[in-house]
This record gives sequence, C-alpha cells and structure tokens, in this order.
Amino acid sequence: MNNLEEKLWNYIDGNCTPEEQNAISSLIEKDAVVGAKYRELLSLHSAFAQMDLEEPPMAFTYNVMEAIRTENAQVPLKAAVNKRIIRGIAIFFTITIATLLVLVFASVKWPAQGLPVSLTAHFKMPDINSSQTKVIVQAFVFFDVMLGLYLFDAYLRRKRDAKDTKML
Amino acid sequence: MQSKLSDAELIEQTLTGNQAAYAELVKRHQRFVFTLALRYAKVREDAEEIAQDCFIKAYRSLAAFKGQSKFSTWLYSIVYTTAMTSLRKKRVDTESIDDENNFIQIENQASAYDVNSAENRSRSFYLEQAIAQLLPDDAAIITLFYKGEQSLEEIAQAMGMETNTVKVKLFRARQRLKERLERNLKHEVKELI
Repeated sequence: MNNLEEKLWNYIDGNCTPEEQNAISSLIEKDAVVGAKYRELLSLHSAFAQMDLEEPPMAFTYNVMEAIRTENAQVPLKAAVNKRIIRGIAIFFTITIATLLVLVFASVKWPAQGLPVSLTAHFKMPDINSSQTKVIVQAFVFFDVMLGLYLFDAYLRRKRDAKDTKML
Repeated sequence: MQSKLSDAELIEQTLTGNQAAYAELVKRHQRFVFTLALRYAKVREDAEEIAQDCFIKAYRSLAAFKGQSKFSTWLYSIVYTTAMTSLRKKRVDTESIDDENNFIQIENQASAYDVNSAENRSRSFYLEQAIAQLLPDDAAIITLFYKGEQSLEEIAQAMGMETNTVKVKLFRARQRLKERLERNLKHEVKELI
C-alpha cells in the first residue's frame, strides 16, 4: 500500500520516468481503488499547496533594517576612522619627540671624561634577590602570560567566527 | 518600481550601498522566512527573532553570495542553520508526532479550539495545526516544497541533506499529515479531502 502511495506521490509530483507515468496513468483509469487513492492524494496535494504563510509583525522589515543600521553605525567607529589620519598623528608625535630629543641632546654640555653619575643618598636600586621582589616579578609574569592567553583565545574566536560567516 | 526588480538586481543594488533595495528583499521574503522559522521555534516571538537574525546574517554575508543557487535557497539555508542553533541553545522540546504525550496535547488543543467560534474550523487552521505537530525538519520540508517553490535538490542543498533523504522525509511527512488530519478531524477531513 505504501509502495503504491509512494508511486502515486511521485506521479503527482512529476518525478516519474515517462514509462512509469504511462503505467500509473493506465492503472488509475483501470483500477477503481487506485483511482480513488489517487484522487484522495491529489486533494491533499492541493490542500497543502493552498496552505497560508504566517504573517510576521508589521514592523518586521523596519526592525531588520534598524538592526542593520545600528550595526553599521557601530562598525564605522572602528573601520571608518581613516588610517591616514592615524598615521598622520603618529608621524606628528614621532617628529615632535625626535625634535625634542635632538634639542635636548644638542643643549647638553658633555664633559670630556664621561658622565659623573652620582645617585642621591635616598635612592635605592630594587633588590631583585629579596623574596618580596620575586613575588612581584612572578605575579607580573603570571599576569602577562594570562593576558597573552586571553588575547590569543580572542584572536582564535574571531578567526573562527569569520570562517563561519564565510561558510554561510 | 523596485518591486519589479529581480532578487539578483536588488542584491547588486544592496552591495553598492542601497539599503532600500535590501529592505525590498526583506519584504519579499519575510513571510516565508518567518513561517519557516516558526516551523522550528513554534513560538512567534522566537520565530521573529530567528527570522530577524537570518536577514541580518544574510546582509552581512551578501557579498559572499555568488548567485550559483537561487537567493531564496541560500536564504533558507541560513534560516535552517540559525533555527538549528537556536533550537540547540533553547533546548526546545521537539517531540515527534508519534509521541503519545503529544497526542494528548493535541486533543486538549483541539477541544480548546472547539469552544471558539466555527470560523477557526477552516481548512488552513486544521492543516496548520497538523503541521505544527510534525517534527521541525518534516514541517520545514513540507513548507519548502509546497510554498517555497523549492525542488527536492534545492531543499537538500538548503538543509545540507541528501536529495534521497529529503524525498523520503517528504513522503513520511505527507503520510503523517494525512494520518493526523484523519485522526483529528473525523468529520472535517471529509470536507478537506
């Protein structure tokens, strides 16, 4: 029975070969049971084809476009800043700092026998062998490693998201 | 004016920065995308969220659409992946039509509607009710086949399945729909068929 229904559905959908189509056509005409089954499936087929589509809310298109506009408005804050402006600012500061350094070094009167380095009596160099300093250095290195791992993870996530979007 | 443009022309305009062209594409496909999302989400609010997500994702990836398939097929593949992700996230109960508990739920639903006016007893109402009880994939296949103007090959492409699998699922879905209608509408089915 299922086999017959499957054949009839294929016939209705137009997925039969011409030979199969002829065979089923004559079967529908000759066999009353098959004919009745065919008419039943055909009615269902037309009922399915007439089913209504759901209506989304009236503001649906507006909401989509608004979401896109919001997204676009956020992206340009990063992307729309002209790289030339950033480069210009960087060049300005580099030249300013370089000029200042040149001026400072040019105004220094260098003694003939090196610099007389004399630290004030209150100044102490940090003792790297003390246990307190070691803890601070270890904490600093630990923080750096964690930060590095976090940034690496963020980079891999961004890469994966970009790949997913590309696949779509 | 824009409504006469084809999907491909609207995409081309969208890619040049014309957002009105994309709004036209959304208007054109929103009913179907929303219906398809509803087949998975079952709740209108969730379906709206999925449908909105789909159009935003499609907009973002529009440049990657090469036009090798129909825009609708490409869009439906996004609906499918977005809906599946949403289903996984929300762990929506996707009980089969064969589930006994589900039948009880349907009975209750039908009797609740019986209290309402006779206008609910329309052909599409009962059909929609039966479709809502199908597995999400089956309901989506039925919708894509009958309302999405998609061939079996295109449905397979959109859902990432083999064409033969889609064919079998379509056959089973139609069988289940028929059984469901016959069981629920002992009298009304005569009017329907």
